[in-house]
Amino acid sequence: MNLVSVSNSVINILPFRYLLFDEAIKISDIAVRVLAGTKNTLFIFFTTLILSLPLGLVIAFLRMSKIKIVSFITKSIISILRGTPLMLQLIVWFYMPYYVFGIKLSVNWRIISIIIGFSINYAAYFAEIYRAGITNIPIGQTEAATILGYSKSQSFFKIILPQMIKRVIPPVTNEIITLIKDTSLAFVLTYTEVFTLAKQVAASKTTIIPLFVAGVFYYIFNGIVAITMDKIEKSFKYFD
Amino acid sequence: MYIFEINNCKKQFNGNIILNDVSLKVKESEVVSIIGSSGSGKTTLLRCATLLETMDSGNLKYLGETVATTQNNKIKYADKKTIKKIKNYYGLVFQNFNLFPHWTVYKNIIDPVLSIQKRDKNIVDGEVDLLLKKIGLYDKKNNYPYELSGGQKQRVAIARALAMKPKILFFDEPTSALDPELTVEVLKIIKDLAKIKMTMVIVTHEMNFAKDVSDRIIFVDKGYIVEEGIAKDIIDNPREERTKQFLSKLSK
Ligand SMILES: Nc1ncnc2c1ncn2[C@@H]1O[C@H](COP(=O)(O)OP(=O)(O)OP(=O)(O)O)[C@@H](O)[C@H]1O
Ligand SMILES: [Mg+2]
Repeated sequence: MNLVSVSNSVINILPFRYLLFDEAIKISDIAVRVLAGTKNTLFIFFTTLILSLPLGLVIAFLRMSKIKIVSFITKSIISILRGTPLMLQLIVWFYMPYYVFGIKLSVNWRIISIIIGFSINYAAYFAEIYRAGITNIPIGQTEAATILGYSKSQSFFKIILPQMIKRVIPPVTNEIITLIKDTSLAFVLTYTEVFTLAKQVAASKTTIIPLFVAGVFYYIFNGIVAITMDKIEKSFKYFD
Repeated sequence: MYIFEINNCKKQFNGNIILNDVSLKVKESEVVSIIGSSGSGKTTLLRCATLLETMDSGNLKYLGETVATTQNNKIKYADKKTIKKIKNYYGLVFQNFNLFPHWTVYKNIIDPVLSIQKRDKNIVDGEVDLLLKKIGLYDKKNNYPYELSGGQKQRVAIARALAMKPKILFFDEPTSALDPELTVEVLKIIKDLAKIKMTMVIVTHEMNFAKDVSDRIIFVDKGYIVEEGIAKDIIDNPREERTKQFLSKLSK
């Protein structure tokens, strides 16, 4: 076997064959087309976070409610949301208006149902994280606040919440990283986020470069989020 | 008029009677110590007094104002507004301090005064500085609780309670989470408070301190007040057999 044939066979199995030869110019073109989906990916990501982080707190409160039936129902719903695939939930949310209410699916419903599906699913995860964070705070904190005369809401927002946030940053970060990767699930509703576009472009060009581009995008995105969360975590280091 | 008055307090947990018809009245400037073995109900009594627990039945008053009354075996607590007002009359110092870890010493002391009593910040600032000097921790003003020793934390907790200008201060074993060499500094603060005629109810296992600081001592056993009287009498010449047993066990 001579050197040329070895290098040729290697090049043939590598995706950047195109980089080296005939379609080198197309790569930027492909990247642009794939990354057009980033706008939608970022939209799903940020909207889900903005909605699910506070919604998780509301669900955590319902879950911890002293009214037994409220906490039981919340617990069951959380268990369903966490116990079934997000992909399935997205499909259910999308078709629900049609099959349950007989309403024709509007053009915008695709993205709305994706946001609903993501936000509610993630809120369920956040709720359990918050609840663990709150129950971990010694009861003495609330009792000291009560004795001093803080109202229930003062006691929560001034004393419990800051301590809870510090405790939940690591698990919340894990969920956020998962969310980035989960945004690709929007493809089941053929919503054009990065991954969907990459797949389409890849299929039409019979090359996997688009998937590479998508991978790099997700990887960088993850890196940025990890660094940001690390900064936030450090900003809570001032107390113990 | 009594600063604090609890009558016929009964409290049970899951069918176990913890407090059995306990009554206690405290006059202005009086220092009362509560002693008794572990599990006798001392903490539960303080928790009922400070509304951390609701009594099953009994009457509770601060400065003559009714917090809870019992009629026909049904207990009724005052409305929210009254309770909010009455919470200004008392403070409680916990065994494990319960300082707010995310706030500096200064903020721990001043925030309750500002956000609950809504008094003028400039005036309160001066009061807080004075308090910090009194407890010898002025130089720790901007430190966080984790940077303090147990004794220092407890002194801050006392200052936090005092900043609210309570009429009566309850202590639940304020030194039992501390190393022996740190208890002294906390006990000294409490003694100083007694000197300036602060009304106090102190649950403690420190008999010499109790004898020293209190006007009156109450011995609790199994949810009953077994014996009460002048501090010196109770410690040096207890009448009841159970008090004698308790004290002799302690001195061993
Ligand atoms: N919330 C609760 N639920 C059930 N039982 C309780 C509760 N709080 C206290 N008890 C019980 O009540 C009894 C009296 O407790 P308490 O804490 O008042 O005793 P104590 O005199 O303060 O004891 P120590 O000296 O150990 O602090 C104990 O047997 C305890 O187990
Ligand atoms: Mg106790």
